[in-house]
Amino acid sequence: MKKLVSVALISLLFIMAGCSGSASGNDEYPSGNLEIVAPASPGGGWDLTARSLEKVLTDEGLVEQNINVVNKPGGGGEVGWKYLKQKDAHTLSVNSSLLLTNNLLGQSELTYEDFTPIATLATEWQALAVPADSEYETASEFMEATKNNPTDIKVGVGPGLGNDDHLSLVQAASEYGINPSDLNFLVYEGGGDVVTALLGGHVDAVTTSLSEVKDQHQAGKLRILAVSSDKPVEGIEDVPTWKQEGIDMVFPHWRGIMGPPDMTEEQIAYWDEKLGNMVETEQWQTVLDNNDWEGFYKNSEETEQFMKEQHDLYETLVKDSGLVE
Amino acid sequence: MDISSFMAGLSIAVQPINIIWIILGGFLGTIVGMLPGLGPATAVAVLIPITFGMDPVSAIILMAAIYYGAMYGGSRSSILLNTPGDGSAIAATFDGYPMAKKGQAGQALAISAIASFIGGLIAVIGFVFLAEPLAAFALEFGPAEYFLLMLLTLSAIVALSVGKMVKGFLAMMIGLALSTVGIDTQTGVYRFTMGIPQLSEGIDFLIVIIGVYAIGEVLYNFLNIDDQKKEKKKVGKVWFSKDQWKRSRWPILRSGPIGFLVGVLPGAGGSIASMIGYTTEKQISKKPEEFGEGAPEGLAAPESANNAASVGAMIPLLTMGIPGSGTTAVMLGALIMLGLRPGPLLFQQQPETAWALINSMFLGNIALVIINILLVGVLVKVLDTPAKILYPMIVLLAFIGTYTLSYSTIDFFLLLIFGLFGLMMKVLDIPIAPLVLALIVGVDMEQNFRMAVLSSNGSLGVFFQSGVSITLLILTILSLFYPLIIKLVKRKSDKLSDDEQVYKSS
Amino acid sequence: MKEVTSLKALKLIVPFILIIASITYMIASWNLPDANLGNGNGPKYFPLGLSIFMLTFSIVYFIQEFRKRDEENEEIREILSGRTPKLIAFTVVAGFIYSLLFERIGFLFSTVLFLGALLFFINGRKKWMTNIIVTICFSTISWYAFSVLLGVSLP
Repeated sequence: MKKLVSVALISLLFIMAGCSGSASGNDEYPSGNLEIVAPASPGGGWDLTARSLEKVLTDEGLVEQNINVVNKPGGGGEVGWKYLKQKDAHTLSVNSSLLLTNNLLGQSELTYEDFTPIATLATEWQALAVPADSEYETASEFMEATKNNPTDIKVGVGPGLGNDDHLSLVQAASEYGINPSDLNFLVYEGGGDVVTALLGGHVDAVTTSLSEVKDQHQAGKLRILAVSSDKPVEGIEDVPTWKQEGIDMVFPHWRGIMGPPDMTEEQIAYWDEKLGNMVETEQWQTVLDNNDWEGFYKNSEETEQFMKEQHDLYETLVKDSGLVE
Repeated sequence: MDISSFMAGLSIAVQPINIIWIILGGFLGTIVGMLPGLGPATAVAVLIPITFGMDPVSAIILMAAIYYGAMYGGSRSSILLNTPGDGSAIAATFDGYPMAKKGQAGQALAISAIASFIGGLIAVIGFVFLAEPLAAFALEFGPAEYFLLMLLTLSAIVALSVGKMVKGFLAMMIGLALSTVGIDTQTGVYRFTMGIPQLSEGIDFLIVIIGVYAIGEVLYNFLNIDDQKKEKKKVGKVWFSKDQWKRSRWPILRSGPIGFLVGVLPGAGGSIASMIGYTTEKQISKKPEEFGEGAPEGLAAPESANNAASVGAMIPLLTMGIPGSGTTAVMLGALIMLGLRPGPLLFQQQPETAWALINSMFLGNIALVIINILLVGVLVKVLDTPAKILYPMIVLLAFIGTYTLSYSTIDFFLLLIFGLFGLMMKVLDIPIAPLVLALIVGVDMEQNFRMAVLSSNGSLGVFFQSGVSITLLILTILSLFYPLIIKLVKRKSDKLSDDEQVYKSS
Repeated sequence: MKEVTSLKALKLIVPFILIIASITYMIASWNLPDANLGNGNGPKYFPLGLSIFMLTFSIVYFIQEFRKRDEENEEIREILSGRTPKLIAFTVVAGFIYSLLFERIGFLFSTVLFLGALLFFINGRKKWMTNIIVTICFSTISWYAFSVLLGVSLP
């Protein structure tokens, strides 16, 4: 009987602990536990970004409050961002260009203006790659061939049209004078599948994030024709940028963080300070290195401006791609 | 194979700390894998935070151990409760659950553990000697070949429902129809999502598995819940008989390599491997009528195959940095976080890491078979729990398991709908496996078909171009018509023997 | 007599529903939006083809069942007799309510209610002691296991 009573007591305690978590009302921000929404399943890119943030902010003692990562996958970020929209300033969410494209493609009502920009944190670059034995030695050769006969050249992309992998080539093509809606894309389930298809010679070229193909290029299993960065990337200096190939574009595949609508200036300033310090830490540098990301920090004000520019760019790209009329 | 790196890897793998990780990971994986809906991918994903701050080599060893642990564990609940935790554990319900019902739960668990062990060992040996050529072979698989492989799987599974073919085909088609929900990958068009964002990535097959199996099974058992007597159920011995071993021996050895090969193909994975292992055994068996009624070989074959597949899935990950399954994709993400990037350079630059992992697979399988055999005695106790208490608990676990998939209560409603669906199918004797399998492979099948046709500019000849695709086509036709052929041959030989008897007696 | 006819009808209901579902699916496939890229009808072919097969097989199934309409299906009888329909309905309704409460009142509270309700209904009120112990222990253990050990964020 004694055991029973203690079991009951303990569970009561748990219940009480569970209920008291949401208490708030203090003026000081943050006044309670913080939440970072990963709008994806555990193990995915957004999840890992959120967890890295949590880890660095906590380990470096930048934020004293508890930070929890909450997974809200679904709808290419839609579910998680809807959830964020109805939260208070203690919840933030990881984001990327999908925030813009979901809306531009007519798949979501949410726009970037529904949220408070906090920061842009890091970027990856896009790459165009061909098999090692491909007849195309340079990006210009590839573009020329595509221009002459767009249907014959199959380009692998994944996991869906309208993402940065797809749109980066759309931009390159339209800069070169090719109508991007003529490009012949085969859409694979994920970035890995695209690389398999290329290595097996099932597609003529792929457009994907650089990290998916960098090692393969170094091992000589395939050839990267161009990267979307502003200057050649460390480790693969032999690969030219699009600019060097005469196509005027720099295409970042950025990741950032944002908050719910209507955050106060103090709250935004809090994050500007914390994240500004965080990106200077060595631990964050390691996170960037491990993921093949590049630092791309912009504070809230710069991010707001950046988002506007990006929105206009993506609006054009989505239209050019032929995905919407 | 490079002996010195092999030895270097071995010496890393046998470091006490890594042995502890292997055992801990295997144990955790087994436990998590047993819960409905929590398969290897979820198990690895939810346990990732443990690996933060670990040495990358230990981390990959731990994750691999969790993976195999979950593969072992997944079939425990298939056998005991008819509720598989993941797609690859479905085949274990076919004969594992009937065995448990016959009072051979202990034997069934032991056979499955041993079969998994041997399957795993075969695959690890295959890994050591064949990793590179197989990785090259896997690249041969283009959209056409993938489409045909999935077609083979589906036809093999429909062929299992002999005697109720119409229902089997219907179940398969419902599964395919469900798989068309979500974004159409090739064009980005939203299909049948009814404006629900959670549906845009499709209906998660795990929800359907939990619904039709776990919830469906509980509801189905309500039919006679009050008749169940209080007598203690027999659970049988915790070790199998000599006869059972004799029957399982060859199926295990045959299914291991099959599962391994299927596992190497990116995207195929344990569900397809175990299903092909099962159907192959059934078709070459002399007593196919015993399959589905609790034949030990019907349990041993898929268990061996799916564990071998999980080892095979590591090949594309380690040699090319390409995740071949949901689980390896999660592992890749976590490894990148830790600064280890598997890929073509791994074996060149850090051979000892790669070989440490391979060696840890040996050790892991040994640890797991011991853990699982020790657990048999404990697990069969589950069956001693009165049904009226057990079922509410299963229902609750099903809900929590579903929640871990995408943290959304919308999935709960799907779960209930599919629970009722499962009940209906069981009552009307409609086979469930074709539905679930079709849902698992449906999306890839359609998309690969379309990619194949697109890449050949509209010609169907692409499906007859390579040796692989022709082999797969022949196997598909065989799998559908084999039962018929067998019947014909039997009838002939029956006639012959009848004739002989007539001859003798006259 | 009435019961017999209703049982017979029940056997035919499912194939009938399948026929309706196939037709609905066919119409929905037909009305899918055109793709803007590549072949505009690309997204439609597979579902349309599938729906034709589904309809055919549903009709065959209906005919099969219709021929066998006089055979008894023991399990359909059971599903409608005794406590069974109540148990099934209760579980589904309880699950539905649980789904609604889960995120509103938190995991532990809703789970205790849900599991408790199921146990009391299925296991009977007489064993209230066991029911309460199992409910509290199992809810707490599962909360602890998932939330603390596995780090799943439960509400």
